[in-house]
Amino acid sequence: MGDLESGQENVLDTAILEPVANPLNSRRKFLRAGGALAVTAAVVAGAREANANLRGFSSDVKPEKLLLSTRKTGKPAIPALEIVVFNRLAFGWRPGDLEAFRQLPGGNAEKLRTWIELQLNPEKMTDQDCDAKLANLESLNKPLEVAWADYYKNLDDKDEKKFQKMGIPTLEARLATITRMVFSKRQLLEVMVDFWHNHFNVHPERDDSIKPTFMGYDRDVIRANAFGNFRVMLEAVAKHPAMLRYLDNASSNRAGPNENYARELFELHTMGAENYRGVGRQRDVAGYAQGQPDAYVDDDVYEATRCFTGWRIDDNTDESGFTNTGQFAFFQPWHDRFQKTVLGRYLPPDQPGTKDGQDVLDALATHPGTARYIARKLVRRLISDKPPQSVIDAAAKTFLEHQDAPDQMKYVIRSIVLSKEFASIWSEKIKRPLERFVSGLRILETDIKLNEDMLWTTYYMGQALFDHHPPDGYPDFREAWASSSGLLRSWQFMNGIAQDWDEKYKSGVMKTNANRRKPLEITDFWLERLLGRKPHPLEIRDDLIKFLADNGDSNEAITDDDTLKWRVQSIVGFILMSPDFMWK
Amino acid sequence: MQHINRREFMMGCSAAIAAMTGSKLSSVALAEATGSQTLVTVFLRGGWDALSVLPPLDGKDRGYYEAARPTLKVPVKGENKALELNAQLGLHPSLAPLFELYQAGHLAVIPATGMPSNTRSHFDAQEYLELGTPDARTSPSGWVTRFLTGTKSNSVTDLLSESLSLNDELPTSVRGNLKAVGFPSFDGFQLADDAEYRKFLGNALTRLWDGDQWLQQAGMTALRAVDTITKINSGEYKPASDAKYPDDSEFSKSLQTLARVMKAGLGVRAATVDLGGWDTHQYQGEKAQGYFGNLLSELARGLAAFFTDLDGLRSSTTVIVMSEFGRRLDENASQGTDHGHGSAMLVLGGSVAGGKVYGKFPGLAPDQLFDRADLAVTTDYRTVLLEVMQKRFGLKNSLDVFPNFKPSAALGIMK
Repeated sequence: MGDLESGQENVLDTAILEPVANPLNSRRKFLRAGGALAVTAAVVAGAREANANLRGFSSDVKPEKLLLSTRKTGKPAIPALEIVVFNRLAFGWRPGDLEAFRQLPGGNAEKLRTWIELQLNPEKMTDQDCDAKLANLESLNKPLEVAWADYYKNLDDKDEKKFQKMGIPTLEARLATITRMVFSKRQLLEVMVDFWHNHFNVHPERDDSIKPTFMGYDRDVIRANAFGNFRVMLEAVAKHPAMLRYLDNASSNRAGPNENYARELFELHTMGAENYRGVGRQRDVAGYAQGQPDAYVDDDVYEATRCFTGWRIDDNTDESGFTNTGQFAFFQPWHDRFQKTVLGRYLPPDQPGTKDGQDVLDALATHPGTARYIARKLVRRLISDKPPQSVIDAAAKTFLEHQDAPDQMKYVIRSIVLSKEFASIWSEKIKRPLERFVSGLRILETDIKLNEDMLWTTYYMGQALFDHHPPDGYPDFREAWASSSGLLRSWQFMNGIAQDWDEKYKSGVMKTNANRRKPLEITDFWLERLLGRKPHPLEIRDDLIKFLADNGDSNEAITDDDTLKWRVQSIVGFILMSPDFMWK
Repeated sequence: MQHINRREFMMGCSAAIAAMTGSKLSSVALAEATGSQTLVTVFLRGGWDALSVLPPLDGKDRGYYEAARPTLKVPVKGENKALELNAQLGLHPSLAPLFELYQAGHLAVIPATGMPSNTRSHFDAQEYLELGTPDARTSPSGWVTRFLTGTKSNSVTDLLSESLSLNDELPTSVRGNLKAVGFPSFDGFQLADDAEYRKFLGNALTRLWDGDQWLQQAGMTALRAVDTITKINSGEYKPASDAKYPDDSEFSKSLQTLARVMKAGLGVRAATVDLGGWDTHQYQGEKAQGYFGNLLSELARGLAAFFTDLDGLRSSTTVIVMSEFGRRLDENASQGTDHGHGSAMLVLGGSVAGGKVYGKFPGLAPDQLFDRADLAVTTDYRTVLLEVMQKRFGLKNSLDVFPNFKPSAALGIMK
């Protein structure tokens, strides 16, 4: 921090001081200016006076410094590998996770390889504690057809609880997902599930008929393919009633095609807007003559829309061949049978069944533009909001090389995580609200009650699970998540769980604190536990110690139990509310 | 909080701001006296169906419209008929509260607005519009941010921020401004209920967050905003002139929150408010009723209440309503409409030369359509925004806000 009294550079960065017309930059000049500034000067003096009688957190800092300058902290240092890993490839850590990583054999590179292979094979990992918490969810394992019958088809119109029942699979999918984020050892799987849910976003409340199918969407489409083959996943998404209904393809027919799904298939699910050339003609796109156009245009969207006509849901018994199973059905009478051209491929008339649509999915899943787009999104998610091009290129190449592998995405993930950039980039991202919520619960080993109240907390924090209405998923760049209300609500939540103020979240900070009573010891214990490293800037550690010690001896035990509890829970809250707990 | 000893608190930044705020805060009087202007942008996300908002009433265009919209057309006679703006264009009946403002001369209507980009993607279009750079997405700042740096502030105080977004997520238009504040309402917008504890937390957080990195700056902006809002958020709010905000609308709640902030004279010069749900690919609603009509009604009732509530601030406030594009002329099989091109803008304010349709309706004959499918664009949205900025905010160089854009002559929307 610049020294105010010496008149060194001090940027007036506090909004309150901006009415000052003259760009004064030192307190001395500031006070001399008088007049309109008198109010501020008086306030500053008053604050200093008051401070003399009070103590605590920052008693060695003159308050006017806080008011007049910005502390020059610089960028935080890149933390140890395990900190990076659990912040970016997991939803934070539970106590013991960091130690377990450190005890893996070999150097950092080998540890990371070992950890990644464990995580990429979740089925080999036992996860009983988490599984046990899911045991009471009635719709968890119901096949789609059964869920459709139980929560939609067979519901009685006179049943007062009809709409509540209809929503059970969606409610339970939300509860199960948060439970897994918090308790499952299969953390990388959960990170990828979160990634794909945002990538193939469905808002279940858009239509009553989506809600009964949403557990199935989470289980059979997203989870089943999270580490799998992209082309397989793409078709599973395209045929699932949740997506068919959400993006309206279920009602698209040759007489009045609905392009909603086809457009988002290109723009959000595969090639991305970066490979979109608007209204242009197909033949004008580079590479078209060679059968591999390097981008798509509106005409590709319209032609693909025709390809997917007749891809609908067996949701009634009135139409011929339908039995109301709630599952995907190809309905020939609605299908546009004529020839189409998509991405330079000629599709002849009268192709059998779903072949037109599958040809489109083939073209998209193997397109270099799709590889780049998926790679960029993943690198942004796993490394940085400014994704390094070299990592994107390598991941895209890997994506194409393994396009037929049943575990294609595992190769792509490895190429990103094992890149040299992975562990050498830090603080270009911040946790999204849901990550803040989950990582706070994980590190405090908070006991949570699985109910709708918990979902309300995620809503309040600004990122309710599976509640993003437009099809693009929640944004994954830091600017979107640093609004004043977003930060404030995270602070409120973090402080609340540290202090055990909420019946829903019981953390037991004092139990963890055990018999520690000395300020220095307490501070270092909690910094290591919550951050796994020293705070940035380092003087925050001194602040915490001074607060605990009431400016006294940092090695003198706090004897009064109430005082100890208040101060310990407060510093746990402070650490969780600090920027260090938000960078990733 | 019985364990908190008063001696546990320290006074610092937060207390200083508190004292300052207390001495400076006043009501409308201050805001009025400063002569400061406020630009409110209402962004309708999803692409509103401009052809239902401003349906053609007569002639050949009416014929094309009715043929293309068998179930969705807004009728010209009988129940729920369009409100007549002029001989050519009507206003959707659910916008009746805005029609009153149109008749009173406060609302201007501009059909067929948009940008040169031919994208039919929501996310492209929103980003281009909000960055203010059609077909390019590399700008580090949004147009609102550049507008604020390109115009001088008259306000005597800057206790909150010049840039306020009534959202949890900050929109692209305010990108690049670390002091942009965002919150949807005052609900829970304080560190704690207890005043002493608030001070304690505020001081601790200030100490934890004070720093020169991007995230730390955002945190300090939040702390200042929280402190200021906590001061003005006491007691029941009573809207002026018996303004009646619909109580079942988040959008209205945000507008009411904005009115409170504006009246407190906190120096907000640019505000953004979002209303979503316009991506009506299905079941838009027949005969001007149903889903789309309800959404328009929410928009109109909220804006009308806001304008009434502004009271003495009406002449210094300009509200611009826009969306990323309009929708296809032909309705689809799901009784909805797909993504289109030309949209429509509304400009509301005490200094607006309203009661008039500005710009040009390009017609609905196949050759007049964009890509033979959508309403064409005849007025660049930047021309509309620039007129407000130049006449009300004294913007000198339009290139500061919209680089590489040569605006057409101002339409004359502002007095």
